[in-house]
Amino acid sequence: MTIKTAIGALVDAKVRPFTIVFGAVAVLGLIDGGSGYFFSLGTLFSVMQLFATLGLVALGLGLSMLVREFDLSVAGIFSLAGCIAVITGVTHPWLGAVLGVAAGVASGFLQGVIMTRLGLSSVGVTLGGLLTLQGLTYVLSGNQTVSYPNMAVALGLNAPLAHLFSIRSAVALAVFALAALVMAFTHLGRDVIATGSDRRASRTAGLNTDRVLIAVFTASGALSALAGVLLSYSLGAASPVGLSDVLAPAAAAAIIGGVSVVGGRGNPAGIAAGVLTLCILRSGLSAIGVPPYVHDLVTGGILLCIAVLDAPELARHITAWRLNRAERRARALAKNPI
Amino acid sequence: MTEIALRTRFEQHRARMRHVALWIRLAAAAAIAAFALTTPGFLTPLSLNALFTAISFVGCVAVGMTFITLTGNIMSLALGATVSASALAFLAMLSFGILPAFLLTVLFAAIITGLQGFLVGHFRANPILVSIAALSLLLGGAAFVTGGHRIYPAGEGLAIFKGRILGIPKEALCFFATVLAGQLILSWTRVGRMMSMVGSNVRAATAAGIDAAAVITMAYVIAGACAAVSGVLLAARYGSGDMEIGAGYDYTAIAAVLVGGTGITGGSGSTLRTLVGTIVIAIIEVVLLLRGFSEQLQYLITGLIVLVVIMLHAAGEKR
Amino acid sequence: MPVLSIEGVTKRFGPNTVLKNVSLSLEAGEVRAICGENGAGKSTLVKILTGLYAPDGGSIALDGNPVEITSPQQAQERGIALVAQELSLAPALSVLDNIWLGNREVPLFHRRNSLRTRARAALDQIGLSDLALDTPASALNIGRRQLVEIARMLTRDARILFLDEPTATLSDVEIERIFSALQALKAAGKTVVYITHRLGEVFEVCDTVSVLRNGELVGTRRTAEIDRRQLMGLMLGRSAGEMYPSWQSRPGAAALTVKNLQVPPVVRDFSLVAERGTVTCIAGQIGSGAITVLRALAGLSAVATGAVEVLGRPMRLRSVLAAQSARVQFISEDRAGEGVFLRLSAQRNLVATKLRQHTKWGVLARAKLRDTAVKLASAVGIDRARLRSPADDLSGGNQQKLAFGRWLGGDEPGVLLMNEPTRGVDVGARAEIYRLIREFCDRGYCVVMASSDLEEVLGMADVVVTMYRGAQVGRYGRGEVDMHQVLADITHPAAAA
Repeated sequence: MTIKTAIGALVDAKVRPFTIVFGAVAVLGLIDGGSGYFFSLGTLFSVMQLFATLGLVALGLGLSMLVREFDLSVAGIFSLAGCIAVITGVTHPWLGAVLGVAAGVASGFLQGVIMTRLGLSSVGVTLGGLLTLQGLTYVLSGNQTVSYPNMAVALGLNAPLAHLFSIRSAVALAVFALAALVMAFTHLGRDVIATGSDRRASRTAGLNTDRVLIAVFTASGALSALAGVLLSYSLGAASPVGLSDVLAPAAAAAIIGGVSVVGGRGNPAGIAAGVLTLCILRSGLSAIGVPPYVHDLVTGGILLCIAVLDAPELARHITAWRLNRAERRARALAKNPI
Repeated sequence: MTEIALRTRFEQHRARMRHVALWIRLAAAAAIAAFALTTPGFLTPLSLNALFTAISFVGCVAVGMTFITLTGNIMSLALGATVSASALAFLAMLSFGILPAFLLTVLFAAIITGLQGFLVGHFRANPILVSIAALSLLLGGAAFVTGGHRIYPAGEGLAIFKGRILGIPKEALCFFATVLAGQLILSWTRVGRMMSMVGSNVRAATAAGIDAAAVITMAYVIAGACAAVSGVLLAARYGSGDMEIGAGYDYTAIAAVLVGGTGITGGSGSTLRTLVGTIVIAIIEVVLLLRGFSEQLQYLITGLIVLVVIMLHAAGEKR
Repeated sequence: MPVLSIEGVTKRFGPNTVLKNVSLSLEAGEVRAICGENGAGKSTLVKILTGLYAPDGGSIALDGNPVEITSPQQAQERGIALVAQELSLAPALSVLDNIWLGNREVPLFHRRNSLRTRARAALDQIGLSDLALDTPASALNIGRRQLVEIARMLTRDARILFLDEPTATLSDVEIERIFSALQALKAAGKTVVYITHRLGEVFEVCDTVSVLRNGELVGTRRTAEIDRRQLMGLMLGRSAGEMYPSWQSRPGAAALTVKNLQVPPVVRDFSLVAERGTVTCIAGQIGSGAITVLRALAGLSAVATGAVEVLGRPMRLRSVLAAQSARVQFISEDRAGEGVFLRLSAQRNLVATKLRQHTKWGVLARAKLRDTAVKLASAVGIDRARLRSPADDLSGGNQQKLAFGRWLGGDEPGVLLMNEPTRGVDVGARAEIYRLIREFCDRGYCVVMASSDLEEVLGMADVVVTMYRGAQVGRYGRGEVDMHQVLADITHPAAAA
C-alpha cells in the first residue's frame, strides 16, 4: 500500500473522525512530553465532563443534519430545559429532569409538525423556535441566573466514577450507545439516512418521510434538553446561554464527526469522535493555561476549515484547476515540441 | 402568433390570492397602528425617541441582512459581532480623523464579511456554518486584541453624530439613508438585479451567464458595510464599546427582514420592506414596554411573531 | 370483477387540465400498455393511481370497492406498486436496504436473514444474480437501478404493478430480463400496467393497450386486434406531418465543430460538425450522453475536455461565460431547476441575459429593459398581460417560450443548443416551439437539439446524429433514415462500442 492510498484511507469520510481524534490525542501527548501533567486522569475527567454537555447537543444537531435540515433551536431548548429543571426540581430532582426533557420533546415535536405540515425548511421554523425558546427562558428566569440549592444532586452528578467518568458522562455515553444501536440495527436508522440522502425518492418508495422528520426533531429537542438539565443541575444554576457557547461547538463536532450538511452521511460513533476531539482540544488548551478566547478561535477555525472542505463546489474548483493546468501544459508543449 | 388576451381562471385566482395577501398585510398594519396609537404615552417625545433609537441601530444591520437573505443565503449569525467589532475598530482609529476612521471601519467590516461571502459564493459552503464559524472567530479575535477591556475613543469628534436635523435624530437619518442606498442598488443597478436572480435560482442564474460567486460576495460585502455603519453609530452614541454592543442584533435583524416580507428562500425582497419590518417590530417593542410588559416578554413575543410570519408566508405560497 | 377500475378521473396543474374524464378498468392477470405522446398525461395518471397525486375529480375502485389513495404508503398497503421514471433509490443505502425501503412489514430489527434471502431471490428472478446485496446504490448505473426497483416491487407482493417507461434507459439484454420478469408476474396472476411510447414493446409484451391523447382516453384495444399504424393513428389523432413545419433548409458554413469531446464518465469520445441554418438532432436514450454533450458545450460541465470551435474561433470549455461570449446559447432540459426563474416575473425572465446591454455605469435602463421584454414577448407569442406574472403562473409551454425568447434579439446569430425542448409541454405549445426553432434557423442560427423523442427527431432534423453509450454511432441527412434504423442505432448498434 503506497503512502497515497494509506492517506486516502485515513481521510475517507467514514474513517476521518477517528483519525482526527487520534490526532488530537497525539497532539496532547506530544505537548505533555511524558511528564504526565496534561495527559493525566484529571484532564481526561474534565474531557468527559465536557463531553457530557457538548455530546448530547451535537448528537441532536447531527441527527437533524443527517436528514438534510438544521436545528437552530438547540441552544434555546438547552437553556429553557435547564431553567425548567432548576425551578421545578428543587425537592424532587427527577420531576425537574422529566419536565425539562418533556419541554424539549414538545418543542422538537411542534417544530417538526409545523415543518412537515406546511412544507417549510427547518431554518425558518427553528429560527422562530430559537427566539421563542430564548424568550421563554428569559421570562422564566427573569433574565437572571437561577440558582439550584439542591447541592446533593449537583455533587452526586459530578462525583467521579472510576476516576474517569461521572454520572453525567455515563448517561451521555449510554445515550450515544443507544443511538448507535438504533441507527445500526433498526430500520429507523436506515430510514433516517434514506430521508437525508434523497427525500423525494424515499417518499416515492413508500417511506413516511414526514414521520421521520418529526421523530428526528423530537429527538434533537429531547437530547438538547437532557444536556441542559444535567448541566444546570451539576452547576447548581441555570442561565440563558449564548450561541457561540453551544451551537458553534456542536456544529463543529458534528461535522468533524463525519456528518455531512447535505444529509445522508454520518453516524453516532463518528459524532462521538468529533465531540471527543473538541473536548480534548478544549481541555488540553485549558490545561496549558491559554486564555479563554483561544477556545473560540480554535473552534471557529476548525468549523471554518471543515465547512470549506465539505463544500460541494470545492471539488469542482480543484478539478477545474487541474484540467486548466493540464490544458495549458498541452498548449505549451504543442508550441514548443521537444 | 399571439395568444388570446383572456386570462385563464387559474391566473385570475392567483391574482386574487395576491390581493388577499396584500389586504391581510394592510389590515395587520392598521391593527398595529391602532394598538400603538391607543397606548398612553406613545406619542410623547420620549417614546418616539426610543422608537428612533430602536430602529436606527438594528435597522442598518437588517438592511445588510436583507442582501444576504435575498441572494438565497438565508442569514448570517455573525453580523451582530461584526457590528461590535466595527464599533471597536472605529473608536480605536478615531485618531486618524472622523472620515478616515469611518471609511476604514467600513472597509474592515466589508472585508471580514466579504471573505465569508467568498467562501459561500465560490465553494457553496453552507452559509449558516460559515457565519457561526465567523462569529466564534470574531469573538475570539476581539478578545485577543482588546484583552477584554472596553475601548474608548482615541480621538475627538464623536459629537458630529449627535443631535437632530429637522427634529429627527441624525442616527435615524443615517439609517434612512442606508435603506435608500440599499434600495437603489437593488432596484436600479445591474448587480441588484443579478442578486435577485441568484437568490431565486442559482443554477438558472449560472446558466444565464451570471457570475453567481461574485454576486454573492458583493451581497456580503454590502452587508458588512451596513454592519459597519451600525457599529459607528453605536460607538458615537455610547462613547465606548465592547463586544456586547451588537449581541442579539442578528436575530432582530432577520426578524425585521422576514416580517417585512422578504422570503427566507430568497429571490424577492427589498430594503424598503425591511424598513417596514424594522418599524413594525420596534413599535411592538415600545408599545409592550409602555404597557408594562417586561423586556423578557418582548423577546418572547418577537420570537413568536417571527414564527407566525414565516408560517403565514409559506402558507400563502402554497398551492 | 375488474381488479382496478377508474371513472371520470380529472387532474389540473395550474392553468392546464392534464387529464380529462379518464375511465378504464383492468382485469387480474392482464398486462395493459398505456400509450401516448409526450405530454398526453400518462405519467400523471400513474401518479394518481399510485398515491403521489390526488385527482381533482372522478373515482377509483379496487375489486369493486371505492377507495381513496392518498399516499404512496396507502397505495402499497392496497397492493399497488410503482416503478417510476424518476428512480427512487436512496444513493446512500445498499441494494438490500433499498429493496426494503419503505416496506411496512419490515421488523424493527431489520438485519435478518429472511430479508436477505427474499431480496436475493427477487434479484435472481430478474437476472441480477451477480449483484451483491451490500453494493451501495450510488455505484450502480441507471439500468441496474431500474432493475433493483423492479426487484423491490417483487418483494412487496403487490397485485397491481405500474411501470412508467421502464425500458427508456436499458440495454436490450436488460430489456429482455424485464420482459421475462413480466411474464413470470403475469403467470402468478398479477396485473401489470406498462407505460411507454415504444410501440414495438407494446406488441411484444402486452395484452391490451389504452391510448391517451391530450389528457383524454381515446380507446382501448386488444394488441392482437390492432396494428402499429392504427395505434400510431390513435396516438397522434392526425397525420404526423401536421405537427412539424415544412421548410427549405439553406445550410451555410460550419458553425460548430467538436472534436474528441470527453465528459467522464458518460461521454467517451464525441465529435460533431453542425452548419448554420440547419437543425441537427442528437438522438439517444437517457444515459447515452446526448444531454451531457450539449451541457458540456454550453459550459456547464466541470470535467469536459476536447477541442471545440464555434464560428471559426476556438472556444474554452467548462465556463458558461466563455460559451456565451462565443455566442453559444443554451436551453436546459431542466426547466424548473435551471431554465426559468419561477418566482420572478416573465418580464425579468425574458431579459435575464440582456442586462449588460442595458446598463450604463452600473445602472439599469429600466424603461428600455421593459420595452425589450415586450418586444421579445410578442416575438415568441406570449401575451403582454402575462409579463408581470411570476413565471410559475405560466403553463409549461409558455415557460419554455420564455426560455427561447431570452435568446432572441441578439445582433449576430450563433449556436443554439437545446435539450429535450418539448418535455412537459402540451401539444398546442409544442407546435409553436417547433415553429420557433425553424425561425431561429432561418435567421442563420445553427441549432443543435438532443431529444429522446424519436418522432420529434425525425420530424425536425436536417441532420440526425445517433448516440449510444457516450459515442456517436451514425450520421444521416434528412430522409436518409427511418425510425427503425434510429432505434436500432441507439439501443444496439451494429459496430460493438
